[in-house]
Amino acid sequence: MLGLGIESTAHTFSCAIIEKKGKKGKILSDVRKIYHPAKGEGIHPREASRHHIENSSSVLSECLREANTTIKDLDLISYAAGPGLGPCLRVGAVVARSLASFYKIPIYPVNHAIGHIELGKLLTGATNPLVLLVSGGHTMLLAFLNKQWRVFGETLDITLGQLLDQFGRSIGFASPCGKNIEELASTSSNYIMLPYSVKGNDVSFSGLLSATKSIVKKSKVDACYSLQETAFAMISEVVERALSFTRKKELMIVGGVAANKRLSEMLQDVCKRHGCKFFVVPLRYTGDCGSQICWTGLLESQVKQGALLKDTLITQSWRLDSVKINY
Amino acid sequence: MKLIKKGAEADIYQTKWNNSKAILKIRKKKNYRNPSLDLKIRKQRTIKESQIISQVKLFGIPTPLVYFVNLKKALIIMQEIPGKTIHDLPELKIIELSKEIGKLVGMLHKNGVIHGDLTTSNFILFQKTVFVIDFGLSQNTIKPEDYAVDLRLIKEILNSAHAKIMEPAWNNFLIGYRSIVGNANYVKITKLVSDIESRGRYAAVI
Repeated sequence: MLGLGIESTAHTFSCAIIEKKGKKGKILSDVRKIYHPAKGEGIHPREASRHHIENSSSVLSECLREANTTIKDLDLISYAAGPGLGPCLRVGAVVARSLASFYKIPIYPVNHAIGHIELGKLLTGATNPLVLLVSGGHTMLLAFLNKQWRVFGETLDITLGQLLDQFGRSIGFASPCGKNIEELASTSSNYIMLPYSVKGNDVSFSGLLSATKSIVKKSKVDACYSLQETAFAMISEVVERALSFTRKKELMIVGGVAANKRLSEMLQDVCKRHGCKFFVVPLRYTGDCGSQICWTGLLESQVKQGALLKDTLITQSWRLDSVKINY
Repeated sequence: MKLIKKGAEADIYQTKWNNSKAILKIRKKKNYRNPSLDLKIRKQRTIKESQIISQVKLFGIPTPLVYFVNLKKALIIMQEIPGKTIHDLPELKIIELSKEIGKLVGMLHKNGVIHGDLTTSNFILFQKTVFVIDFGLSQNTIKPEDYAVDLRLIKEILNSAHAKIMEPAWNNFLIGYRSIVGNANYVKITKLVSDIESRGRYAAVI
């Protein structure tokens, strides 16, 4: 089975082709173009969607070329139908619909967040993990039970990615700011007390964001260090809580913030304490990409026919715990 | 001393106190945490837990007796409750006991205390009495929103770990809760629970 996946939920427009044989998947190509807002600014949905439109055909052609294949060889097309920014999602959906209807190829709308998890499982080999999904759109702890991913903990306000980006932008970085903050943080070890807000298995970051902004005048590096230490300690604690409650023996971390080395280091320590295996998605696939959409579409095709064109809409707010999984 | 559980934030050992069985709960240093943050969290929670576990006895919540506290080591020695956690009981029993759990949570809230970590692992059934344990995240508060956060927690746990019995268990919980806090508070707090849920990421906007 040969699938094409199209991702366009936020700043990334990406197409990928995966060949599926039995339970194995081989990524033949994964091409991306990322929209970069000006320094200190966030994603402007209209500008991002314009970027996606302008780059869609070149990304698609390059993706086919790299995979050494043509559209006619494809067995299915999947696209990210949510959650995400409406104008951006629509670009991917339009591209997918056009190809599907012109070439008569089955089409699959896919949940972007499920994509992160499924691709993570494919690439790491985790079988029954507790999943930590940390990105600009999500901060969730999930475990699979009874045909659905269930939420064991999540953020009550902004996500970990938003926390890092909004703070980073306030000191003049261009988003995504995680890498810049990580670099600055690694040069300090002077911890300034910041609000630590864990509510059972949930976390809240909004107070931490305001407090960090208020200490930045004294020292940028100390602020970055203290922000990371506090936020990641909160995440590590809720991970420990969920591990001890669910008694899972695997932890898998996916999503853009999975690229942060300090976070990985802390979670590795958590896993050691609980005798559990630690899986982190390879760096190239932590962020948004077509592969996550493609692989999920391929998995769905095992149990489902392609969607009717009239049902290939987008849903900006589409929680992953509402998706039934039968494959 | 025998290690009986490696919990999320503390290790639980079985020990003796004045010749009777007891539990030793120690919040050990976590290497992944910045040392000053680590010390603050462990100290604060040891204080909170030992205080509130005793305080709530006054309004009739069954909790273990605290025998001894060592702040420097962040450890508490307390009475052992040799029952089973609600989490490990058969599903029908969980549904039935949800009403009692609702009552206990109602009693806490009515007296201005939130538990802060309401999971089915933190209630123990022993000789037909449900005991409440693990008050490390508890707080004295009169803010209705804090009570709502507490309720949302147990709802989240029922919805994830006990998905099959979520509806009857949650309904029973609410019946028990309402019977203690009264209708006016019940309406106000459950409304706040929906507010918090609607603030969640990608929540269906109603």
